[in-house]
Amino acid sequence: MPKCTINGKEVEVKEGTTIIKAMVDAGERIAHYCWHDGLSVAGVCRLCMVEIEGNPRVQIACNTTITEGMKINNTSEKVKEAVKWGLDFHLINHPLDCPICDQAGECGLQDQYMEYGKYDPEMAEPKQKKKKVVDLGPTVVLDSERCILCSRCVRFTEEVSKTNELGIFNRGDRSEIGTHDGMPLDNKYSLNTVDICPVGALTSKDFRFRQRVWYLKDAETVCNGCATGCNVKVYYNKEGFFRVKPVYNENVNGYWMCDEGRDIYKFVNRETRLLKAQVRSNSGWSEMPAGAAAKHAHELLKTTSGDSLALVLTAQYTVEEFDAIVSTFVNEFKTKKIYFWINNKETFDNFDGILLRGDKNPNTKGLLKVLEKHGITATWNDLSQGLASGAIKTVVVAGPENQAVFPDFHERVKELSKAQNLIWLQAGKNEALMSLTGNVWLIPMKTFVEKDGTFINHAGLEQKFKKVTTVVSEALTLTEAALLMSGKNLAIPTAQPFLPLNQRPDQVELEARKKNEFVFRRGSL
Amino acid sequence: MSVMQNNSEKAKWYLPGVLGGLGITMKHLLKNLFNRKKMMTLNYPEEKYEYSPRFKGNHVLTVKKDGSLRCTACMLCATNCPAECIKITAAEHNDPSVEKYPISYEIDILRCVFCGFCEEACPVDAIRLGPEWQTPGVNGANFIYDINHLAYRPTLRGGIQTHVDDEERHKAGI
Repeated sequence: MPKCTINGKEVEVKEGTTIIKAMVDAGERIAHYCWHDGLSVAGVCRLCMVEIEGNPRVQIACNTTITEGMKINNTSEKVKEAVKWGLDFHLINHPLDCPICDQAGECGLQDQYMEYGKYDPEMAEPKQKKKKVVDLGPTVVLDSERCILCSRCVRFTEEVSKTNELGIFNRGDRSEIGTHDGMPLDNKYSLNTVDICPVGALTSKDFRFRQRVWYLKDAETVCNGCATGCNVKVYYNKEGFFRVKPVYNENVNGYWMCDEGRDIYKFVNRETRLLKAQVRSNSGWSEMPAGAAAKHAHELLKTTSGDSLALVLTAQYTVEEFDAIVSTFVNEFKTKKIYFWINNKETFDNFDGILLRGDKNPNTKGLLKVLEKHGITATWNDLSQGLASGAIKTVVVAGPENQAVFPDFHERVKELSKAQNLIWLQAGKNEALMSLTGNVWLIPMKTFVEKDGTFINHAGLEQKFKKVTTVVSEALTLTEAALLMSGKNLAIPTAQPFLPLNQRPDQVELEARKKNEFVFRRGSL
Repeated sequence: MSVMQNNSEKAKWYLPGVLGGLGITMKHLLKNLFNRKKMMTLNYPEEKYEYSPRFKGNHVLTVKKDGSLRCTACMLCATNCPAECIKITAAEHNDPSVEKYPISYEIDILRCVFCGFCEEACPVDAIRLGPEWQTPGVNGANFIYDINHLAYRPTLRGGIQTHVDDEERHKAGI
């Protein structure tokens, strides 16, 4: 365990740690583009210069391992000059199109220029013009002019996705990122290249030009796209959710996430949601507030005897909600007919070796745990038989949030509609549900970004997450729905005592705010 | 606030003050009656005041040489706007050298405070505050100005041309 001094601070690091890693871990600021903790060292940007005592010249921190007693500093004038003129070289051919560029506001060049640059350019030659708006594949757009050739994306396709689509072509100032003919950047992790691009060279087709990043707030949550349970940041504002990015978690997803998971914001937004409860009786559909519809359903449920009532659960809700609704059904309604709706059964155990799993539910383990706790062993076949014979008259369904991963949705709706009374709890709209006949209650549910809770991922890791924001204020959680359906009232949460400003957990230090209002929550590059 | 009171003997005589005031009124009356050209007031709306060219009136979106909008939809004006009256929707342009352009640009003129911050924030001289300031409207008039009004209203005669030209910049090697 070598000891070293970084900017006057004694630090003990592991054998073989590079200087830049030690500095980032110690919370020191250091300029860098090409270095990324999840990728190999390239040493091409020459920005992470540090001064090592006893060494006459400044050195790059990313490719120098720490040895015993090293004295490192990157605050001296010599280092600052080196970074400044290194930046000048990066910006020789960089176009000044920040107004158009989607990265503006979270751009490494902007940050670094404001911190280390601020020079008058000394390049007299005209800028090298390259291709703009190059279509790399189904998800990513490239702007060669903006690229500073840090090679992060190339290393990503080489080392992480192992698809080798990207490469650097041509020489000198004409070199640019590109794909081979007939080999577009088309893999299940391609959008990570957009995340790691320190400039606006790679942009996501999905997010491109939809919002300026400084209009977005972000919050951490857990992806509900599959059983891996990647830690993600969702970006939203009052108009809705706009994008999802991964957050580093050593035990779950590292630095990456898949492209499928980036679509999870889509079923959260208002336009795809059920906003009011829809209740169908003999006289047709009528609209109702969600809470009222749940109370209305209670009128039916209280007269239903135990065996004619069944509950169908999808593994898309939190552990707390499962526990609440299952215990309500077991204790209040005296039924053990609780069924687990398994989507895509055949591909359930698939795993692509990186992150993607075939089980497209975030909380399968959690649901199984709750079912086990209440001693429920019912299988889907019992339900099919019960429905066919007419023994089950009333079915309560906690439908999927992410309908895209339920290919058997229509089939199951058809099967369940055999029941006399169908109480369907779901966040999203669906045509199939609106064309049902018989007595139907469609009650809007909250999605995973609108509630606190726990998901248990494929490895049994419990991940707690907090509410991000409210999209449909009227919608209920499963817990609330269970309470209302069993005839109880919701406890109105007591107002939280007002915290003084300096004790708020999300308080931003004034210094950081002064430095750059828009960048302070983005974290390191 | 402090009140100053003149309690001298002279101040108790109010009649000289009243007559002095009346004198001033009569002076102005006679001056304006016999010398109407130098009168300070204007007969609005027949006569209008000429403001300086720097006057901040209604917004104008400038156009390029080919008549298309100069605006790149960078949203700096909307970000800078203290009244939050600018609403822009960006979209991808077919021409890669343009790349991004606004498909809708709306200014809620009733919220606007005419501070000129949008003009100052604009990196490409796409928005200016023009000399117009009389924008009356009858009941139900639309005070949310769209691109059609901001860039191509009849008084602009086909649009005001911008100073910043990308092609010229690129030729100069920037």
